[in-house]
Amino acid sequence: MLTTGVMSFLEDAARQARTTLPDRDSSLFLSGVLDSFSLVDFVTLLETECGIQISDDQLRPENFDTLAKIETFVGRARGAQ
Amino acid sequence: MSVYITGTGAALPSRVVTNAELAPLLKVAPEWIEANSGIRERRWAQATESTSGLAAAAVREALGDAGIGASDLDYLIGCTLSPDYQVPGIAPLVQRRLEGCPMIPAIDLRAGCAAILYALQLGCALIQSRAAHRIACFGAEAQSKGLDLRPASAELSMLFGDGAGALILSDRPAAIGEARETVLSVEDVLIETDGSFAEDLIVRAPGTANGARWIDAAQLQAGLHHGAMQGRNVILQAVRKMSAAATRLIERNQLSMDDIAVVIPHQANLNLLRAFGHRLSITDEKIVVNLDRYGNTSSASAFLALSQAVREGRLPRDAYALVVTFGAGFTWGAALCHVTNARGAGLG
Repeated sequence: MLTTGVMSFLEDAARQARTTLPDRDSSLFLSGVLDSFSLVDFVTLLETECGIQISDDQLRPENFDTLAKIETFVGRARGAQ
Repeated sequence: MSVYITGTGAALPSRVVTNAELAPLLKVAPEWIEANSGIRERRWAQATESTSGLAAAAVREALGDAGIGASDLDYLIGCTLSPDYQVPGIAPLVQRRLEGCPMIPAIDLRAGCAAILYALQLGCALIQSRAAHRIACFGAEAQSKGLDLRPASAELSMLFGDGAGALILSDRPAAIGEARETVLSVEDVLIETDGSFAEDLIVRAPGTANGARWIDAAQLQAGLHHGAMQGRNVILQAVRKMSAAATRLIERNQLSMDDIAVVIPHQANLNLLRAFGHRLSITDEKIVVNLDRYGNTSSASAFLALSQAVREGRLPRDAYALVVTFGAGFTWGAALCHVTNARGAGLG
């Protein structure tokens, strides 16, 4: 499960994009929730909220495309630490 | 041994292309371009204008600013991604255009948007090794001539503009700026590269990795001669890598971000610059911006911003200026410049 802070960020982003959060397996990019610029802030938030370090190799947009992928990514990152 | 920037110059095509003119070609709204890039207009070269012509004009202005002539130069470093020809490079063409320029070395650097850092690092090394004493460095682009103006390329083609910027490096200090009250020296340059991202920002053709011919009808049909960008990946990596490089450079010079009076960044995208500033807690007022008027001018971008900072008197005495860039490769980094009082240096 993603933290309240992470979900709040995404819900705010969805509101600003005048849309709603898509289901777990639908693209946050295609739905307009995240774009190139909000992604930068989102990744920074993910590091602080989830207590993980995202390496440059892991810093690929596809890792953050859906809620399910984000959950998987955070789970792996926590397990590796 | 200190190396000084003793003059700067700029040259821009006269043709202004507004978002209102460009947007219908790309099938987007003018407001969408500004919201996603911060760009309101850019300059495009006319059919009769070439990159070397813009470059020569910028170098002439920089020479005038430095109070010297082309005959005083002993090295020429040119940077572009949109040269007049594939071969020869642009630097010899600019040498030819500069009246009175001796038969000096004239080299091209293909470092994309990070060009100014490579020019500064190479120029400083040439001066410190006494291989040269006065060097003209320039970044110049006429990349509007290569833009894909179809809707599928809107995200990339909305960004780019044409122009040229130049600077003079010297082993002797000279006061710069309108008031001639400051001396600008290059203190340190940090450059890094990660070629694993080479295809994320690319113009594939002409190129020898494309099959039997470096350009053919199939490659043209596929648009390989146009730029292509993985935008999300570029911005994610750019913000992080520019921030890390700037931090490392400042720390290894025993400074803090508070010592930086002005940041002169590659003018990639206003949203990227804001994200960079936010990450390093740099206020907007410290960041020199011209992409709202000129767009992303690639190799020329930071040269133009530096010239603007000098002209606008944005380099306060006894302070530091930070040049930060990121470009195709990926290659990125930062340069630290010190601004001192010309009177203190016996020049005021």
